[in-house]
Amino acid sequence: MKDLLRLKTSLNEEIEKILNEQIKVEAHSSSIYLAMSSWCDDQGYDFSADFFAKQSEEERTHMLKLFNYVNDRGGRAISPEIVNIPADFESFRGVFEQMLEQEMYVTQQFNNIADKCMKVKDFVTFQFIQWFLEEQIEEEYVARRILEMFDVIGEEGTGRWEIDKHIPKVSYEG
Amino acid sequence: MICPLAHFEEVYKTDHGAVYQCSRQNCYWLDFAGGTTAFKVSDFFNFKKKVDAVDISAMIIDSSRTADFTIIMPFRTPRCFVLDINAVLNLRELLAGAKFMIELNSVVNECLNVTPDRAFRPQTTNH
Repeated sequence: MKDLLRLKTSLNEEIEKILNEQIKVEAHSSSIYLAMSSWCDDQGYDFSADFFAKQSEEERTHMLKLFNYVNDRGGRAISPEIVNIPADFESFRGVFEQMLEQEMYVTQQFNNIADKCMKVKDFVTFQFIQWFLEEQIEEEYVARRILEMFDVIGEEGTGRWEIDKHIPKVSYEG
Repeated sequence: MICPLAHFEEVYKTDHGAVYQCSRQNCYWLDFAGGTTAFKVSDFFNFKKKVDAVDISAMIIDSSRTADFTIIMPFRTPRCFVLDINAVLNLRELLAGAKFMIELNSVVNECLNVTPDRAFRPQTTNH
């Protein structure tokens, strides 16, 4: 019998589902970072506000990369519904701690996708997500380095102003 | 009635209905509750998801008359499915069986390394 299923899509149902879940995670990250950008701007941390705005844009790019991949392989990418985005945050340091936690969660999700790809022998998707796994090294590094600045510089006096000023300089050389 | 031009093969059949595949129009036909409906491949699986998502427990617990039935109107079909609990269960059984057979067909095709006649198949030469 003619294989209509494979004519329509090259994606396994489970892989399509897990990729759509990841699209939602990326969109959620993008929204959280935008909320953080707004909060930083409100608190007077201009450089951090710019930093989070860029992060938000980057996460959206990641989301679209996954989104297009699902559609290109014959699947159906789902535009995610994003809810529960906080408008207020505890502290300047807390914002970056939350960023690191978010990035660690994203890494964990990509590891799960890689694991699933191996199990169903979808090496095309496995190859595709290598880019994201490499990207996560940078994301986690940057978040950790920024958190370390809180300890190195200290928050007292003009410490937070100093930290904010140094945020754009944190980069991963690889 | 199934399109007379359709070249269809049985995918799965139960006492309550059947699913056929039309390899000419690349679609599935659902024969259920006295009517037939054609679905594109993705629409068929979306329809299954909708049927699977019906909350049977809520239908049983809710004593209002409207809760005895659920309505599913799949896109791109002229049909409206008005289903009671029995019909939902029967339809689920039919669609689950059909999905299994469709996936099994994919696996079998893969294992046999079947390529369509019109597809390019490299010639092998024996030396």
